[in-house]
Amino acid sequence: MIEAIQFASFSEFLDMGGYGFNVWSVYGLFAVFVAANLISPVMKRKRIVRDLKRRAVVNEQQSN
Amino acid sequence: MNWTWFHKLGSPKWFYELTSKWLPWLIGAMVIFLAVGVVWALLYIPPDYQQSYTTRILVIHVAVAGTSLAFFPLMAVAGTITLVWRMKLADMVAKNAAPLGAWFSFITLATGSLWGSVMWGTWWEWSDARLVSMLFQFFLLVGVVALRSALEDNDTAARACALLSIVGCINVVIIKYSVEWWNVLHQPSSPLSMSGESANGPEFWVPTVVMIVAVYLFFAVSLILATRNEILQRERKAAWVQELVSKT
Repeated sequence: MIEAIQFASFSEFLDMGGYGFNVWSVYGLFAVFVAANLISPVMKRKRIVRDLKRRAVVNEQQSN
Repeated sequence: MNWTWFHKLGSPKWFYELTSKWLPWLIGAMVIFLAVGVVWALLYIPPDYQQSYTTRILVIHVAVAGTSLAFFPLMAVAGTITLVWRMKLADMVAKNAAPLGAWFSFITLATGSLWGSVMWGTWWEWSDARLVSMLFQFFLLVGVVALRSALEDNDTAARACALLSIVGCINVVIIKYSVEWWNVLHQPSSPLSMSGESANGPEFWVPTVVMIVAVYLFFAVSLILATRNEILQRERKAAWVQELVSKT
């Protein structure tokens, strides 16, 4: 099923049979899409936890 | 029948704890499937006699497009649960699904255009029902996000978005069958048909299946992460959240 890697050289790999711009744009977009939708919820979680911790400290100070 | 599981499902705390156990496995599987799918597609798919190496675009396009059709049914089910049982968790999932679905629809359109520009000789075709109905799905999802932010009251926003999500399912049916109902430029589903005229060999459909699984796993991971954030925010006054925050 997997005969072999389809390219003889790296420049041939980048060229993608003359459709390099289209193929690599799609994979680039896909990489951005996946990374953005994983990193952004992780960053948001950090912000939320930081914010909730700050609130907890404020609440404790007020009750003392 | 025992319905406790159903009521437990509605509990944000239960969902949070369950997904804490699931996430490492889901993320691990996602990374493996994404890596195998991308490497296989980029290095091993042989050039098509007509399409050359552009079939490698279709592996991504098919996986993302297929998954994008899951958003409205998911939001409609969650919306129905919100309308009937007022389950908080269902609305949290629906709320975070909408922007992610807009992303999926946009990437479907962009990757399709990048393939069409060289294989059809055009980036866009207004007379093609498949293309236009997918563009409509993108606008509908942006519309759901806008509707949510326009309505200040949480319950009103949840109910309005639930209704729009249920109606939006009609468009999913149109997208799905557009290539059969109308004579359009967009070809009918072929990457996965294993018999008939448009059959593809395993060297193409196996990496496509790997990529579909990878994209579904990514969809699940991203939506779960976003929903957990929503839970932390909405349940911030709950004792279990405060305890959890103090431990981190």
